[in-house]
Amino acid sequence: MAKRRLRIALAGNANVGKSVIFNQLTGLNQIVGNWPGKTVERAEGPLHFKGYKIRVIDLPGIYSLSAFSMEEIVSRDYIAVEKPDVIINVVDASALERNLYFTFQLLELEAPVIIDLNQVDFAAKKGIRIDAEKLSEALGVPIVPTVAITGSGMNEMLSMVIAVISGEKKLKPLKVRYGKEIEKRVETLEKLVSSKLPQLCMVYPARWVAVKLLERDVDVAGKVKNYEKGKEVLDRAEKLAAELEKIHGEPSPVVIASERYALANEIAKEVTIVEAPPRIGLEQKLDAMTTHKILGYPILIMVVASMFVLIFIGGNFVSAGLEFLFENLLLYVEGVLSSFLPEIAVELINKGVLAGVVAGITIALPYIVPFYIILALLEDSGYLPRAAFLMDNLMHKIGLHGKAFIPLMLGYGCNVPACIGCRIMETERERFLAGFVVVLIPCAARTVIILGLVGRFIGLHAALALYAFDLVLVFILGRIAFKVLPGEPVGLIMEMPPYKKPSIRNILMKTWSRTKDFIYIALPIIVFGGVTIEALALSGFMDYIIEVASPLINGWLGLPAVTGIPLIFGILRKELALVLLGNVLLQQGMVLQDLTAIQMIVFSLVTMIYIPCIATIATCAREFRWRKALAIAVIDIALALFLGGLAYRLLSLVT
Amino acid sequence: MRGGNKRPSKKDNPRNMKDVVSLTSLREGEIGVVAHAVGGFGLVRRLAEMGLTPGVKVKVLRRGPFHGPFQIEVRGVALALGRGVASRVFVRPLRMESSG
Ligand SMILES: Nc1nc2c(ncn2[C@@H]2O[C@H](COP(=O)(O)OP(=O)(O)OP(=O)(O)O)[C@@H](O)[C@H]2O)c(=O)[nH]1
Ligand SMILES: [Mg+2]
Repeated sequence: MAKRRLRIALAGNANVGKSVIFNQLTGLNQIVGNWPGKTVERAEGPLHFKGYKIRVIDLPGIYSLSAFSMEEIVSRDYIAVEKPDVIINVVDASALERNLYFTFQLLELEAPVIIDLNQVDFAAKKGIRIDAEKLSEALGVPIVPTVAITGSGMNEMLSMVIAVISGEKKLKPLKVRYGKEIEKRVETLEKLVSSKLPQLCMVYPARWVAVKLLERDVDVAGKVKNYEKGKEVLDRAEKLAAELEKIHGEPSPVVIASERYALANEIAKEVTIVEAPPRIGLEQKLDAMTTHKILGYPILIMVVASMFVLIFIGGNFVSAGLEFLFENLLLYVEGVLSSFLPEIAVELINKGVLAGVVAGITIALPYIVPFYIILALLEDSGYLPRAAFLMDNLMHKIGLHGKAFIPLMLGYGCNVPACIGCRIMETERERFLAGFVVVLIPCAARTVIILGLVGRFIGLHAALALYAFDLVLVFILGRIAFKVLPGEPVGLIMEMPPYKKPSIRNILMKTWSRTKDFIYIALPIIVFGGVTIEALALSGFMDYIIEVASPLINGWLGLPAVTGIPLIFGILRKELALVLLGNVLLQQGMVLQDLTAIQMIVFSLVTMIYIPCIATIATCAREFRWRKALAIAVIDIALALFLGGLAYRLLSLVT
Repeated sequence: MRGGNKRPSKKDNPRNMKDVVSLTSLREGEIGVVAHAVGGFGLVRRLAEMGLTPGVKVKVLRRGPFHGPFQIEVRGVALALGRGVASRVFVRPLRMESSG
């Protein structure tokens, strides 16, 4: 009987739909969106199909199996070393030639490959159809056409996986052959590799090692060097590569890439049928407008600003409605509780637990949910890479390139995935620089404070001014960090995927999974914070804290001393700061509106900048190590306090 | 792929072929045939892997503002290249579609 436990890996170019397929197969929620480089770590999920227990692995999207970036090494090692039972090579039917380049490399690695010809709907929109049968004949591997976003073809693909596993369907993969001069040298080197490095050949095919060495792949060369006879092989490879370069007048990897592309071009031409004129006029017009050298910028500003305006209007409306509802509910519950509980318990439950939950629901959710929807729309439409294109120049000024603008935009949603998303930057230095500025972007939680306090009680203009100030600050700090950590910025090379109509399903799923995180993670923390503050107040500890914090909070920042408490709790979750601000003011017999406009601004400014929350710091530590994460935290706290005090004094002067 | 923003000098075009110009000198809508790319090993290889190999046609879709990046089409795919990167790709212009 065949194996009942399988591992299948999804591999392919960036942005072809691997994660959509992964989500379809496993029911999980890997991030999906219309820009290249979303999946940066491999993800795994379970699937049961026809009695098989399958582990599905989603790999980062890559263009080649060379050792260019972290993602490429992650994917290559997984495929070559961990040897999944089947590799599903997801291929974008609307960009076949470029995708085949990668397919050939999988075939060279002699991996068991099945091709998922995805996005056939979008190819049809471009007026092309791929003859799957012909392509399957040419490559010698099975091909299943799919439309991942609707789930069409998923069953067929799984059935094909099983057919291959059970031996029902045989693979006769194409042997990728090169031109005479290259082929001769590949074969020479292949023989040498298999005779001198038998252990290495148990992991990697000898021919593949030979090709990689001819391509001067540093990672493979490093592996070869570890063997006793490695030096001999490397010397020979070096000589052969030099010969090739002499004949062709190009670096050897270019020579070999050219050949692979020539073959890809030939096959793609043969199997592509042009059926109709493309129907992507609207998408192209949108593209032209949003990347226009002049128009593009006002559009970018409008997109970002209208995001906040919409959230503000919608959020305020819902927030006010909910507050009214819950206020009455709370009064009612209080009445019921006090009929059978002692006063102190009622106080604890009411002000601690219930007030927190209610505040979470009435203050945070109304802003957070619309925010997530709009962000998901932006992510799915394909606007982010356009914004990255427009911002390339400016990002160079802070030692980065346009791609870094994508994690920056994601930071408005939540800093944690944005920090991880910095891996789309190519070097470690750039990843850190990008991470450093990303944590200064006000996430949805900080937006709750900015819009829910400043926006609501002072006005939208003041809230927008805070956002604008934050961007200026990001630029200045980025510039300073660039000066401190000098180095030549890497140039931008990024695929610009076409605009696509966002899939409603994706948007709703994404919004729900993010909202769910808020409910499961943030609400318990909010309740915990509320109870703690209530306990502090009841035990008399609060007065002590107020006294200690007073010089800094009151003297320097000009805030009521009690606000020190929500500021400390804000480290756990930023929206907690606002919720608890309400709580502590209540202890003093005040409400939010009793704060002056300057106090509201200072409070929001400080929470916007000081230490990104604990989850972000932990993520930074994972990505950049503890020392750098702590440095970020310390810098941000110092900066927040400095700017907060400065703002207090300056604003007091002008008003 | 140390591309950077520095512009390559004349001597970066080692073959010094007369009809070969930097991609940055094409106007929007113009097409060129890639001759070669210059720069660090990593950059040149990366460009080849993304499909910019000698002999392939590229079309300039958009020249970014303020000395900014380029958007090109190659092998049916749109790519954004930073100005520094684009200036290192040398092409033979096909002056047919110069109307853009
Ligand atoms: N029209 C259409 N769009 C699709 C299809 N499959 C995926 N998409 C869209 O393509 C985009 C990329 O999908 P992802 O699954 O995130 O791509 P990925 O391959 O995981 O990308 P990376 O993680 O960045 O490498 C998303 O906007 C999807 O909605 C499809 O079959 N048809
Ligand atoms: Mg993905």
